Amino acid sequence: MRFELSDDQALLRNSTRDFLASELPLEKTRSVMEHSKVGYDPAEWRRLAEMGYVGLILPARVGGQGLGAVELAIVLEEMGRACVPGPFLDVVLAAALVAAASADDALVREVVAGRKLVTIARDDAPYAGTSAAAVTAGGGRVRGTKYFVPFAASVDALVVTTADGPVLVDGPFTVTPLQTLDLAQRFADVALDHAARPLGGPAELARVDRLAAVGASAMLLGLMSRCLETTLAYVQTRQAFKRPIGAFQALQHRLADMLLRVESTRSAVYRAAWCLSSGAPEAPLACAAAKAYAGDSARHVCGEAIQMHGGIGFTWELDLHLYFKRAKTLEQHYGSTEAQLEAALAAAGY
Amino acid sequence: MPNSFAASLIGVVEPCQCRSSGAASFSGGLIQPEVLRTTSAPLLPIGLAAKESFMDLLLAPQHLEFRDRLRAWLAANMRRPWREELRDPAATEDGLMEFRRAWQKKLHEAGYLGMDWPREWGGRGAGEVEKAIFEEEMAIADAPPILNTLGIGLLGPALIHHGSEEQRRRFIPPMLSGEEIWCQGFSEPGSGSDLASLRTSARLDGDDFVLNGQKIWTTFGPWADWIFVLARTDSKDRYGGISFILCKLDTPGVTVRPLRQITGESEFGEVFFEDARVPRAQLVGQIGEGWRIAMTVLAYERGAMSLAASARYGRDLDCLAEACKEHGRTSAAVREKLARLLVENEVMRANGIRTLAYFAEGKAPGPESSIEKIYWSEFDKRFRDVALDLLGPGGLLLRTSPDARPDVDWAREFLWSRAGTIYSGSSEIQRNIIAKRVLNLPQDAR
Ligand SMILES: Cc1cc2nc3c(=O)[nH]c(=O)nc-3n(C[C@H](O)[C@H](O)[C@H](O)COP(=O)(O)OP(=O)(O)OC[C@H]3O[C@@H](n4cnc5c(N)ncnc54)[C@H](O)[C@@H]3O)c2cc1C
Repeated sequence: MRFELSDDQALLRNSTRDFLASELPLEKTRSVMEHSKVGYDPAEWRRLAEMGYVGLILPARVGGQGLGAVELAIVLEEMGRACVPGPFLDVVLAAALVAAASADDALVREVVAGRKLVTIARDDAPYAGTSAAAVTAGGGRVRGTKYFVPFAASVDALVVTTADGPVLVDGPFTVTPLQTLDLAQRFADVALDHAARPLGGPAELARVDRLAAVGASAMLLGLMSRCLETTLAYVQTRQAFKRPIGAFQALQHRLADMLLRVESTRSAVYRAAWCLSSGAPEAPLACAAAKAYAGDSARHVCGEAIQMHGGIGFTWELDLHLYFKRAKTLEQHYGSTEAQLEAALAAAGY
Repeated sequence: MPNSFAASLIGVVEPCQCRSSGAASFSGGLIQPEVLRTTSAPLLPIGLAAKESFMDLLLAPQHLEFRDRLRAWLAANMRRPWREELRDPAATEDGLMEFRRAWQKKLHEAGYLGMDWPREWGGRGAGEVEKAIFEEEMAIADAPPILNTLGIGLLGPALIHHGSEEQRRRFIPPMLSGEEIWCQGFSEPGSGSDLASLRTSARLDGDDFVLNGQKIWTTFGPWADWIFVLARTDSKDRYGGISFILCKLDTPGVTVRPLRQITGESEFGEVFFEDARVPRAQLVGQIGEGWRIAMTVLAYERGAMSLAASARYGRDLDCLAEACKEHGRTSAAVREKLARLLVENEVMRANGIRTLAYFAEGKAPGPESSIEKIYWSEFDKRFRDVALDLLGPGGLLLRTSPDARPDVDWAREFLWSRAGTIYSGSSEIQRNIIAKRVLNLPQDAR
C-alpha cells in the first residue's frame, strides 16, 4: 500500500511544474487570457502536444503515452497551480471517448500531435434546466443546439452527447461565442445539423464523466493549494497593528481550515484517480465525492485567499481572481456539484 | 459508555512541546519542500513505468488475510450488534459494563488486543495497519466496545515505551484481560487546554509519593480500578516539573465522584487526592518525565482514526437514508442533505486510506493528524444535527421511548457529538497546532 507518488510519478509532477513555469508563467497566461481571441496560445498548445501531454492517457496505437488517471490528475493539479488557460481537459476527455470507441484513430492521432482540436458538447440548456428539445442523433444525423461548448470556435470536431448516445461530429460549426467571467476557458453555443458517427453507449460516457470529475477535481486541488501558499506567504509579511497579520488567531484558524480542505481534497482526488485506474468498484462514489468536495473547497479556499489579502485581493492586478474564477467555472462544469450529489446518492443506493 | 471515539479522551498538546515526526509526509505539494529541477528542457518521461512502484491503495495480501480472518471471527463470536445490546430492556449501565469486560476478555484471548505491542508483553506483535483494520472492522460489524479503552489505548503504549520491566509485567496482563480498568487523570478544574498549568502535586516522602489535588472529567472514573495521573513534582518547572504516576483508586485519601453529563449518564467523574500515599515504584519513567511521556502517548494513540470513523458513520448514514425512505422524506432538500453527508464521509474515508498507506510504508503521521481529528469531530456534529432534522420530532425520542427508532440512538448520538470537539484537544487547540507546527505561522496574538 502506498499513497505517495512513485518516483516516475514524482518526476512527471516536477517536470510538468518546471515546464509550465518556463512556458506558461502567469504573466504570459494573463496576456493570453486578456488578448487572445481563442483563449489559448496555439503555439503553446503544440508544444504541450509535442511534450506528450495531450496523449497522456491515450493508447500507444494513436500516439499516446498509455498512462492512467493518477498521472492525469498529477498533470492537471499542476495546470491548476499554474492556472493554465486552454482546452486541455476538454480535449483529453473527448479524445479518450473517440479513442475508446475506435471511431476515428486518424483524427485522434492529429489531436495527440496538437494539429487538431476536439472537445465535448454536453449542455442542452444554458441554465442547466431541462430543455424542451434535447439534441438527437437519429438516422446518422445530429440535430439541435448545444450550449457552453468548450472552445467550440476552435475545434475541428466535437463529441456530442445526445438522447441517442454520444456521437462524433466533424466541423465546421456555426458557433455563437459566449463571454463568461472566466477568461481561461472559452465557450460557445453550437447549432447542429451534421452527420454523426456513434461513439458507444452510456457506459463509455459514464467512464468519461468520472474521468472528467477526477480531472476537474485535480485542477481544483492545484488552484486551491496555490492560493493557500500565496496567502501563507502574504500573512507572514503583511503587517497590521505592528505584527504580521498571520499572528492573528482569527486568521490562523481559518488558514488551518483551508489546509484541512486542501489536504482532504488531495486524499479524495488521488484516491478517486486510483480507483479509476485500478477499476475499483468504489470508483463511482469516490469520483462523485471528490468533485463535489473539491468544488466546494476550492471556492472556499480561493475566496478566503482574497479576503485575507484585503483591498489588494480585490484588484484585477493581483492574480487571485484568476484562481477564484477558474474555481467557480470548474465547480459548475465536468459534472456540477448538483450532478455529483445525485451521482453519489445513486452510487450509494439511497 | 462512550462513543467509540472516546478511546482517546486525553487532554491537550501544547504545540510548542510536541515533537513532530513527519510533517513532510502529508502533502504532495504544500508541505513538501519545493523540488526545483534545473533541466532547461523538461521532457515528459516517455514510457513511464506506470505499473511499477505505482501509487497503490490496496491492502497487502497478508493484511487482507488478517481482515478476512477477523471478519470470520467476529461473525462467529459476536452475539449481536452493540446497538441491540443497548436496546435490550434488561440492560443496565452496570450490566453493560460487565458485558464489555467479558467481550474484551474474549477479544484478548483471540489475540486481537495490544495489536502492535511486542509479544513478550502480551501483544500481538503486529503493526499500525492491523490496528487500523481492527478498528474499522469493529466499526463495520457494530461490535461492542471493549471496556478498558483508556488502559489499552493510552497507558499500555506509555508503559511499553517508558515503563520498567517490572511495571509491564505487573500491569499489562490484567489491563488486556479487563481485570483492571484504567482511567486517565490529566485534566483539572483549572487546567484543560492549558494542561501544563496543572497543579495536582506529588511530594516524595520516603518511599512514597503523597498526592494532593483534583482531577476532573475523568472518563470511567466511576468504574475504574486505577488511574494514571499527571502530577507536579516541581512547582517551578512548567514542563519538567510534571511526573507520570499510577495510583490505585481505593488508596486511602482518594475519592471518586461521578459527574452527570448532558446525556444524563455519568461516564466521567472527578477524582480527589488528599494526602494519598502511592509507592514510588508506581512512578513511570523518571521524576520530571511526565510531560514527555504524555506527549508520546498522544502521538502514539493517533491511529488511522478516520477509517473506523467513516465506517461507523457510513453505517449510520445508511440507516438514516433508509429511515427517510420509510418515512416518506424524499424531497430534494432532504436528498441534498443526505448526499452532502455521504460526500463528506467518503472524503473522510479517503483521508483514512491515505493515513493507512503511510502506516503501511512505516511512516508515522505528524501534527497533521490534527486535520483528521478536526475533520471527524466536526463532521460528527454536522451529521448528527442533520440526522435529527431529517427525522423530524422522532429524532428527539430517547431510546427507551415508545416510537423510538430501533436502528440508531439518534438523540444520544446528537448529544454525544458535542463532546468530540472538546476532548483529545479541542478543535481550537488542533487549529493552533496546525497553525504553528504545520503552517509555521508566527506566535499568535490573542
Ligand atoms: C466527554 C469528555 C471526556 C473526557 N475525558 C477525559 C479523561 O478521561 N481524562 C482527562 O484528563 N480529561 C478528559 N476530558 C477533558 C478534556 O480533555 C478537556 O475538557 C479539554 O482538554 C478542554 O479543557 P477544558 O475543559 O478545561 O476547557 P478550556 O481549556 O477551558 O477551554 C474552553 C474553551 O476555550 C477554548 N480555548 C482554550 N484555549 C484556547 C486557545 N489557546 N486558543 C483558542 N481557544 C482556546 C477551548 O477550545 C474551549 O472551546 C474529557 C472531556 C470530555 C468532554
